[in-house]
Amino acid sequence: MPAFHLQLPATLDSVAELLDALEAYAEAAGINLTVTSRLALVAEEVAANVAMHAEGATFFALSVTPRPEALDLAIEDDGPEYDPLARQAPDTEADLEHRDVGGLGVHLVKKLTQGARYERSGGLNRLSCSLTLAA
Amino acid sequence: MEITETTEGTKTVAVLDGRLDTATAALTETKLLELLAKGGVIADLANVRYVSSAGLRVLLKAAKQAKTSGASFAVVGLQAPVREVFEISGFDKIIPAFATRAEAATA
Repeated sequence: MPAFHLQLPATLDSVAELLDALEAYAEAAGINLTVTSRLALVAEEVAANVAMHAEGATFFALSVTPRPEALDLAIEDDGPEYDPLARQAPDTEADLEHRDVGGLGVHLVKKLTQGARYERSGGLNRLSCSLTLAA
Repeated sequence: MEITETTEGTKTVAVLDGRLDTATAALTETKLLELLAKGGVIADLANVRYVSSAGLRVLLKAAKQAKTSGASFAVVGLQAPVREVFEISGFDKIIPAFATRAEAATA
């Protein structure tokens, strides 16, 4: 299975471009639809967060490195230091009136991936995680 | 994202086609809220292969507006990856989901 790497300007337009490229990659690589959706979701949640909130960020970059049983993902950006994984989990049990979706993106990333971790080095934020290929 | 309108019983069906994500959230929200102002709405997601948290925010807003105005709001035709996102988010407990438009219309 081939690897994937794409670096784009940190804008919302780039998020859609990233998803289009990822879907094309996943289809060509024969990745099933469930894993493709998880892959796109993780990429969007992190990239959209950078595009909307990381003041001064000029780019985000996504790398996908396939292993036999999983895809290793790394998403980097040059925005201010920010660990999205440190965000408090949302209350997914609250009733409709009290429900808020803040933090839901990160919650989805944590639940859909394995071994999510954050590091800051060389002036970059780097979020790494793995997606199992066994859907 | 393309959204077309049809009806099922007394309710409006919004047939969504495409990704419900950061790029399409605003357009989808405008359309769903506009339809909800006229009465009950069923969002048919059979052709939506992907919903991100930006998309969930839109569906939550629609469900909240429906509750406020006394209209109904339901989703139908959830694909497996979308259902997974609903379950992880707890949305399966707050937004009624049905297999078919007919079931949603008579619920």
